[in-house]
Amino acid sequence: MTSTSVPLDAEGLSLRSVSLWHITWRRLFRRRSAIVGMVILGILSLIALTAQWIAPYDPYQVLIGVEPVQRREKPCIHLLGCPKDKPQHIMGIDGNVRDQFSRILYGARLSLIIGFATVTFAIVIGTVLGAVAGYFGGWLDNLIMRVMDVLLAFPALLLAIAIVTVLGPGLINALIAIGIVSIPAYARVVRASVLSVREMDYVSASRALGGSTFHILFRRILPNALTPLIVQGTLGIASAILDAAALSFLGLGAQPPTPEWGSMLGAERNQIFSAPHLVFFPGLAIMLTVLAFNLLGDGLRDALDPRLAHVSS
Amino acid sequence: MKSKIFSLFGVLVIASLILAACAPKTPAATQAPATQPPATQPPATAAPTEAPTAAPTEATPPPPVPIATYDGKSLSVPDCDYGGEFKSIEATDKYTVTFTLCRPDPAFLSKIAFSVFGILPKEWIEKTAGPDKRTTEGLEQPVGTGPYILKEWKRGESITFVKNPDYWNKDAVIGADTLIFRWQSESAARLNELKAGTVDGIDNVGPADFEAVRSDPNLQLVVRPALNVFYIGMVNTVPPFDNIKVRQALAMGIDRQRIVDNFYPAGSEVASHFTPCAIPNGCVGEPWYEFNPEKAKQLLAEAGFPNGFQTKIYYRDVVRGYLPEPGRVAEEIQSQLKQNLNIDAEIVVMESGAFIEAASAGKLDGLYLLGWGADYPHITNFLDYHFGKESQQFGQIPPEIYEPLIQGAQIADPEQAKPIYEQANNAIREFVPMIPVAHGGSATAYRKDVVNPQASPLSNELFAFSKPGDRNVFVWMQNAEPISLFCADESDGESLRACEQVIEALYSYKINGTDVEPALAESCEPNADLTVWVCKLRQGVKFHDGSELDAEDVVATFNMGLNPGSPTHVGNSNLWDYYSYLWGLMQK
Amino acid sequence: MIWQYALRRLVASIPVLFGILLVTFALARLIPGDPCRAILGEKATQEVCDRFIREHGLDRPIPVQFGIYMKEVLRGEFGSSIRYGLPITRLLIERLPTTIELSLAALLVSILVGIPLGVISAVKHNSWIDVLTMLWANIGVSMPVFWLGLILAYVFSLLLKDTPFWLPPSGRLSAGMTSTPFYEVWGWSLPESGFLPATAKFLSNLHILNALLTRNWVLLKDAVQHLILPALALGTIPMALIARMTRSAMLEVLGQDYVRTARAKGLPQSVVVLKHAFRNSLLPITTVIGLSLGSLLGGAVLTETIFGFSGVGRTLYDAITARDYGIVQAFTVVIAIFFVVINLLVDISYAYLDPRIRLD
Repeated sequence: MTSTSVPLDAEGLSLRSVSLWHITWRRLFRRRSAIVGMVILGILSLIALTAQWIAPYDPYQVLIGVEPVQRREKPCIHLLGCPKDKPQHIMGIDGNVRDQFSRILYGARLSLIIGFATVTFAIVIGTVLGAVAGYFGGWLDNLIMRVMDVLLAFPALLLAIAIVTVLGPGLINALIAIGIVSIPAYARVVRASVLSVREMDYVSASRALGGSTFHILFRRILPNALTPLIVQGTLGIASAILDAAALSFLGLGAQPPTPEWGSMLGAERNQIFSAPHLVFFPGLAIMLTVLAFNLLGDGLRDALDPRLAHVSS
Repeated sequence: MKSKIFSLFGVLVIASLILAACAPKTPAATQAPATQPPATQPPATAAPTEAPTAAPTEATPPPPVPIATYDGKSLSVPDCDYGGEFKSIEATDKYTVTFTLCRPDPAFLSKIAFSVFGILPKEWIEKTAGPDKRTTEGLEQPVGTGPYILKEWKRGESITFVKNPDYWNKDAVIGADTLIFRWQSESAARLNELKAGTVDGIDNVGPADFEAVRSDPNLQLVVRPALNVFYIGMVNTVPPFDNIKVRQALAMGIDRQRIVDNFYPAGSEVASHFTPCAIPNGCVGEPWYEFNPEKAKQLLAEAGFPNGFQTKIYYRDVVRGYLPEPGRVAEEIQSQLKQNLNIDAEIVVMESGAFIEAASAGKLDGLYLLGWGADYPHITNFLDYHFGKESQQFGQIPPEIYEPLIQGAQIADPEQAKPIYEQANNAIREFVPMIPVAHGGSATAYRKDVVNPQASPLSNELFAFSKPGDRNVFVWMQNAEPISLFCADESDGESLRACEQVIEALYSYKINGTDVEPALAESCEPNADLTVWVCKLRQGVKFHDGSELDAEDVVATFNMGLNPGSPTHVGNSNLWDYYSYLWGLMQK
Repeated sequence: MIWQYALRRLVASIPVLFGILLVTFALARLIPGDPCRAILGEKATQEVCDRFIREHGLDRPIPVQFGIYMKEVLRGEFGSSIRYGLPITRLLIERLPTTIELSLAALLVSILVGIPLGVISAVKHNSWIDVLTMLWANIGVSMPVFWLGLILAYVFSLLLKDTPFWLPPSGRLSAGMTSTPFYEVWGWSLPESGFLPATAKFLSNLHILNALLTRNWVLLKDAVQHLILPALALGTIPMALIARMTRSAMLEVLGQDYVRTARAKGLPQSVVVLKHAFRNSLLPITTVIGLSLGSLLGGAVLTETIFGFSGVGRTLYDAITARDYGIVQAFTVVIAIFFVVINLLVDISYAYLDPRIRLD
């Protein structure tokens, strides 16, 4: 799928001295959705990095006896007419009498870590498997890809649930489960790009020159898989965050008192009618984060290779 | 192409067979990451997976042999050394059953009234006994003597009952002609259905919704008395809990009132004793320690932990009446331990089965959150199970606690047993095997016009005795679908409640109460030392299949539950949990 | 050609199916804890559980258990559930229709909304409609299903109470509403067991189909009302995916020469869009629809939990919690086979829609 010659990009800019990355960046900045995604992501990263300074409260601090607040109290925002003598809690108080806004802010940190960690895990393993399968072919290829088929034959979330149950509930185990479930997608992508260039002249040349298998695979072949991997990875982060939230919602992921959005939402889901703010805000936070990665992924796909635009998302 | 496929297939088959053969050791290579034991789990949880599978048969003792003889009129065992309670159960005449016990049992009537021991017709018992489990009819079409007859169980959706026109106590029945059971696991959705008027009553109102129900002019809230206990367990052979001062410090250093105020619904109480006060002799003796963080810190310092220590809080994410919000409470206890005693506790949630196994074997190396709900309203049901000599749950139970329990279990008169239970309760307070925290209240809610709304402390609401205004159908929504309606071999409350509408036992619990009153028996009278109980049956009672209740049905019912040698001793899961735990199966 | 291809694909999927069996078996047995303690909780005693495990053959070596399991599967049986004491085939007949009905309704929602949105968005490329639609589609893809479900229930069953837009918060039918199976209404007498009555029961558990067959309009309305919210919650993600894919496929086709020619010939816009462009962009859309079916089955676990459906997803989740190995194995196998078959159908339809694609 990927072309190896530097594409003279569609917009008619033909600047030889400019690197492929540079062009990509420029294209990316021309797409509105990608910019929106990057802006949201930037804000999220900023929040994640500075949570301890911008959060008004310690996310673990129980406010019983500290402040005159009720359990699951509705948001109190001074600007919106909440009496000034009451402490301000812009997203209300949660089921353990903690400030929900602070917990949401800290949750950004977790969600980003979850997204990047699972996808890195899946990409590393998926790349190795896909590269081995594509390069060596034969029965090894068949075996690896059939195992991937088996993994793909289950709905991702169900398989992840089963794996977490086996490993025991917990954030790390949820990450591993989601990682395992998303391996096949990367293995397939890598295998496809390896297959597409395996027999190309420059690879044969490298082989004839006596390059080691390792060298050929990692220096000559795999760089071609980078583009689709980046696209798949960005979109993969989005679905990893969603799946991790779903596992936490079911009580299988992050455990209390960790401020993880999915588990915050799951723990208070029966308060949807009595204290809707406890369900609304964590859900909104999940949605915005996932949205940012989706927008960015879309933008990247278009920017990196316009011809990829119509390939399945 | 073809050969390729076949060779591939062959490779896979062989690989799979190898994998399958290696399974006990490395349970499948494709799942390699799955075999790594999770870092956060205690070693105790890894063990149970391998224990039943890896250890081959040589370690298991030979299966027990049935010892009972049954001839239709009597069920008996040759001697009492099998550990169970019954010596014999005999139909002495058509309407008289005599129970001969191996030891005195002051709780006999409370136990016999339990719906698991509901009387079934003898022919039906025999007819629905399949080769290794009940037939589908046996599991789904119970035949009893109760005020409702099961009409249809649409699995996954609802159960419909219709009124029994021949009910022996017809005059007391005020319920609707049709009764429908539905279920929904989310408390918010249950309440929403009630508000929408699509159901007439719901079980387990969400703890946060009590006020909303109370203030709703169209609804009524009925608080269920708390016949349960939530406690913080620990094992007194594991450091630092082997030091009595550490345990006492914990007992004083946790503000239990704050937990109950914030995480338990109205109707809950801070536990003054392990057993709730509603149970005779439950809360005799000195009440639990006052919250006193200074004294607790001092004790902790004396024990050699002036700066606290590190431990874990284990729990399972299962909602029970005694622990309506497990995660919330675990977090609260964690923050209290830090704040009051400077103890750093890590919260570890465990899978329910693994948690129970590790807890009951005393394998947890930290604090754990567990509780108990009454099976029958008697103090032995609380204390003997937890603090008997054999209990390993809290490490070693000191004789100061278990000796009075042995004595007390022989005495029928609560007044007479009182000093003994005082002694036991005080010993529990002194040795702190665990910290009783709360008796959790729960509540049902009904539409305003429901007459005689029920919230039974034992969760056996009988809807024949409630009236849904002027409607002809009563719709009840509980937490979950029954597992089966062969309740002799079930143990969950959701199944039992459905059975209770159809099946009756010799005695029953009073509506909304725990006292017993005669049901299918007109009376059961004990001899002087409480070892022989003679029950006179009510005459002219008809089962739903038209047959008449007599003493042989009673004997056949107990034969089915107690006698593993009987061809009728087949149920659903074949656990026979309550028969074996309350009476003891006739085998050794 | 196509049949040959389909047959070859079927044969090729045998190892995958075998792998599926192996994985489900391994996963089920690897779950820590045992069914006895999962069922009894704090009331479990060692003695009772030892007996239970022995009686259910769970103490036998794992390869032996796998052998028994394989034998049963090859005979087309799934054994029975430890917890419900019922044949698993029966549970499937009861619970699969719930999930199928839900998934199909969700798919219908997603197609009926997603395709028009995508087409409009492509035709009005770069207009504000396009921007809004695509923003909406991206939000849709990013929405946590469980959250959307809760919010929908909050809005439609509580906020809109006492309005004509009120929708029931849970369940498949209102209490007291019974769905008499069509074969009983039609007076068929079916044999006790066998393939025919099983199929009939299966079909009659699809409430909407059954209501249509028996012309029970009250039942139909009730069933549809209960299905709307779950279908919306479950269908949002595929809807967004379909809208996105339709748009990009249409854009590509609209840029092709033959479409320009058609326009140049003076054909009306609607004809160009529908006849020339849309038909040719069906290919990638079909793929997305096929792939969405898979995510629907996964999302069903969450949707069924929130809306109180006893479908395959929820039952499977409960079975994992209860260590009901039989159900875990059988249900996952059935779902996985569904998956394999759907993928196969997608590939075949691919070839059917675009003869240029070589099948091998």
